[in-house]
Amino acid sequence: MATFRRKPSKGELRRQRAEEIVMFPLDWLEERSGLIGGVKYFLFRNVPSDINWMQTLGSAALTAFIVQAVTGVILAMYYTPSAATDPHTGQPVAWESIVNISDNVFMGWLVRGMHRWGASVFIILMFLHMGRVFLFGAYKYPRELNWIVGVLILLMGMLEGFTGYLLPWDQTAYWATVVGINLNGTAPILGPWLAQFLRGGQEISGETLTRFYSLHMLVIPGAIIALITLHLYLVVRLGVTSPPWSKDAAGGDPEEAEPERLRPGLTRPVPRGAGASAMQAEPGGRQ
Amino acid sequence: MAAIPREKPTRTEEEQAEFARYKADVKARGKPFYPYAMFHDTIMSLVVVFTIVGLAVIWKWSSWGVTHDPTHKGLLGPVVDPPANPGTTSFVPRPDWYFYFLFYLLRIFKWPESVFLGTVGVPTIALTLLIALPFLDRRLVRRPSARPVAMVAGVLTILSMAILTWKGATAQEALASEVKQNIPRWKAQEHLPPAAYPGVELFATAGCTACHTYDGAGGSNLGAPDLTDIGSRNLGIAFQEAHLKCPSCVNPGSPMPPFASLGPERIHQLAIFLEASKGTH
Repeated sequence: MATFRRKPSKGELRRQRAEEIVMFPLDWLEERSGLIGGVKYFLFRNVPSDINWMQTLGSAALTAFIVQAVTGVILAMYYTPSAATDPHTGQPVAWESIVNISDNVFMGWLVRGMHRWGASVFIILMFLHMGRVFLFGAYKYPRELNWIVGVLILLMGMLEGFTGYLLPWDQTAYWATVVGINLNGTAPILGPWLAQFLRGGQEISGETLTRFYSLHMLVIPGAIIALITLHLYLVVRLGVTSPPWSKDAAGGDPEEAEPERLRPGLTRPVPRGAGASAMQAEPGGRQ
Repeated sequence: MAAIPREKPTRTEEEQAEFARYKADVKARGKPFYPYAMFHDTIMSLVVVFTIVGLAVIWKWSSWGVTHDPTHKGLLGPVVDPPANPGTTSFVPRPDWYFYFLFYLLRIFKWPESVFLGTVGVPTIALTLLIALPFLDRRLVRRPSARPVAMVAGVLTILSMAILTWKGATAQEALASEVKQNIPRWKAQEHLPPAAYPGVELFATAGCTACHTYDGAGGSNLGAPDLTDIGSRNLGIAFQEAHLKCPSCVNPGSPMPPFASLGPERIHQLAIFLEASKGTH
């Protein structure tokens, strides 16, 4: 700690006090949970210096999921999952609540539109992210588990699409789900049981709607949040892969039996062999 | 005691050494996630949010905004579809676009021999391969040029998914109004008796042709069989009625939805028509 030779000025004292006030809750939290350290580690951990734009697709998919979560919560405030007929209009209640969101609720059309199209964007980004991971070979040791978690998130995302499609309770939704559930029913052993469970009976009815609603806004999003948390934990723990063509951070091709790299400022004898001349040619030590 | 020296490191040792080198490299010469990577991530996330808002705006304003009619088809489809009606019969079962590849797969496989492959077989195999990928491809090398098999497999997968999605998107839909024009031709070519006339009208308008083909018309979705000469199998009126009421009760595993909501009279008419369809010879 710095010791003051002279008496600290008023300004210095004020700043010191302000700092203490700001830091107190953070220190309190850190002392009891270690969370601040965790966030600091997350933010200031090193990533390869040559990561490229394709590697933003994962966080882009996460953003799309957050959009889905926020708009979904707002929609749930106005949506009624009931297939009963409104005695005044003769229309199904669920369908009417969707029309109400689109026509009457302030900015409801925007929220519903974002949820409707955000779903497609989320699925596309997950596929693109998966393609990037495949191209970079980033599923290899030690990231195999994270690949599997990612596949599960994609599956859950598609299940969200399937269950959410029914909720507007319109003709397209209804008949696509009739056929979709019948297709589930063709699976061996579990198929008929699963179809029966999803429908909540022999035919699609109000019970199917409430089941799909519960799955769509509680069960599957819960699973997705848990899986995304695990996915991110593994990304932070194992690190971000550099592009496969970079010779820099993640090391090159082991099959080329690359000699140990020379670091700038380090004096070491140049190893004999294939890589030696190349290294001498480039004083930075990079190949 | 010194361990017995091995000539070659095991695969696990190689993997661990490679990862240790990666960790050391990144620690020594990487750059912090904040602000460098986070800057890119933030820009990309903003692009995503603006794209979603843009789609929502286009959806609303190209449909309702132009016509003040939410059922107008706009650029991205109508904002409001007619409400679900289990009693209606004219419908085209169509999932959201990212299921089109599965939807079209079912046109390739036919009921009853191979539809199981389309509904369960191929998707299960594809998913198993996808999950197993890191264990099938265990070489450490990551450069695309050194992984020809993986790259070809990847390109073929993307191509087939794209083609199936495209075919699913452009799959012909049999609209009741168009199918109805075939009725006089059907009556003549199939030599239908007058008793089958109410049934043929129903058949054309009740949505059967969304999945079934009949004498060159209709959709052949979901592996549904052609019905041109279904009557020549002499299954009987009683069987046809039972099947229409609950297809999966008669044909276990059938993906066809039950049509009990048509009512017994109309089901009887349809059954007469189906039994009278002896083919076009």
